[in-house]
Amino acid sequence: MLSQLKVGQFRCFEKFEARFEPGINLIVGPNAHGKTSLLEAACLLLRLQSPRTSRLGEIIRHNERGLLVDGHFKAAHLQFYYSPQRKKLALDSVEQRTASEYLKLGRVVWFSNQDVELVREGADVRRRFIDFVASQIDPSYRKALRDYEKCLRSRNLLLKAPVPRWREIQAFEEPLVTAGEQLIKSRHALITALRPLAQLAHANISGAREKLHLEYLPNAAAPLAEALAAARPEDTRLRMTTAGPHRDDLQLLLGPAPATLGSEGQQRTLVLSLRLSAARLLEAHHAEPPLLLLDDIFGELDLSRRAALLEQLPKNAQQIITTTRREWLPPELQAHVLDLESR
Amino acid sequence: MNRAEYPAPLRSLIAELKRLPGIGSRSAERIALWMVQSPDSHPESLARAIECVKREIQPCERCGFFSEANLCPLCLDTSRDPLLLCIVEQPTDILPLERSGAFRGFYHALGGKISPLDHVGPESLRIPALLQRLREHPPHEVILALGADVEGEATSHYLGDMLREFPLKVTRLAQGLPAGTGLEYADELTLSRALSGRTSLAAHP
Repeated sequence: MLSQLKVGQFRCFEKFEARFEPGINLIVGPNAHGKTSLLEAACLLLRLQSPRTSRLGEIIRHNERGLLVDGHFKAAHLQFYYSPQRKKLALDSVEQRTASEYLKLGRVVWFSNQDVELVREGADVRRRFIDFVASQIDPSYRKALRDYEKCLRSRNLLLKAPVPRWREIQAFEEPLVTAGEQLIKSRHALITALRPLAQLAHANISGAREKLHLEYLPNAAAPLAEALAAARPEDTRLRMTTAGPHRDDLQLLLGPAPATLGSEGQQRTLVLSLRLSAARLLEAHHAEPPLLLLDDIFGELDLSRRAALLEQLPKNAQQIITTTRREWLPPELQAHVLDLESR
Repeated sequence: MNRAEYPAPLRSLIAELKRLPGIGSRSAERIALWMVQSPDSHPESLARAIECVKREIQPCERCGFFSEANLCPLCLDTSRDPLLLCIVEQPTDILPLERSGAFRGFYHALGGKISPLDHVGPESLRIPALLQRLREHPPHEVILALGADVEGEATSHYLGDMLREFPLKVTRLAQGLPAGTGLEYADELTLSRALSGRTSLAAHP
């Protein structure tokens, strides 16, 4: 459980401290008061990444050098300092050389009112969802992803040389394939595990007639090394790597039809089911529910869906929910309220 | 009124010290003041040592290690096994291998690793010198002792590919459990590499 969260030079906050309770925590306040930023800080504290951006520099308060998040999760004291020049993380005041022990502590699932992007936007949004969940299931996923991205950027740079440098390109393909194959394997396993959980959540929220279906669409059909070799003429022409897991996608179907054809309501239900399935999977995998961060998602849902969602959330998970209006949540809901309006 | 400042010589010493790696403004100021104030500072001998190191130390023209002569004592050591050559990234990587006492062959430091993102290509490494060495004094075995990161791996594969035309055995360091610890202290990646690189017990070849 996250009991305390302090932020420094974080987005709109110069300094802010919040306390949280087990169960449901409501952050209430008007727009632009930093509700989402607090959720983001909680996510950054536990996972060292933001669900809103991959460039942490953007989160640092304007004209400041670096940001700090500091908090108590279960019995541990977590601290993370980030500036473009240096990163520092500490566990119980002991500086950590690597993030591996630190990241073992807590898991997060993020629900946002922007989630419908998962259906409507490009594959990169869906890959980010997959990567975020997969790195919380499999600790080596994060390293594989970083290695893969580094190899990919190196290979692309070598392809862009006036004359592509094939001997070097080939040298980078070895670690590229090792990391890439691991990503493909993990993503395949992840989506296989999420599928029935997402279907169940979907049926429970919507009572839907149509069935939700998730399908992993790996870009490289054959073994990655073969796909890379086959794509060489194309890569030479375009001067970039065209085959590999950096182009994977997650296909979302409602019944036989692509989810993009669904109504607004259907799409919102679908992404909720997806997030819920991630929460369920993390709960089952670690025998402990993840911290649930729900960013202003109740405004878009009708009453029955609000109730169904609250019903579906893992029972003993700690939840931090932001909302502009208290009345969007059922009045009988037992919650610890943090009011940002008076700030 | 002018603001008080340190006199120019002190300021220029602070500025010079600040250029050193790992020394920030505060440390530079502290060191400079100590130089001026402490009876134990011996600035002449420090100045001599700095001058001397720049004048006397050069890379060994064979292996790349720090040397006072054209060839370093390691390369001149006739008791070493000329059939074994160990390739490392940096000359500083030679010392831990030497301290282990487990290697009695010769070394070759590349001076880095191939890293396109840092604009380091094979042409900026000591690869031509390596190839010439292999032609003149061919060893039986070349051991690649490069880092296990992405660039180290790629450099190993690059060299492995290049060395294929030589009649020699190319090996690389194993990855696995740190000596003297139990499994519970190894991270998942180390364990999985240790598993895939497992060896037979001597009695069961």
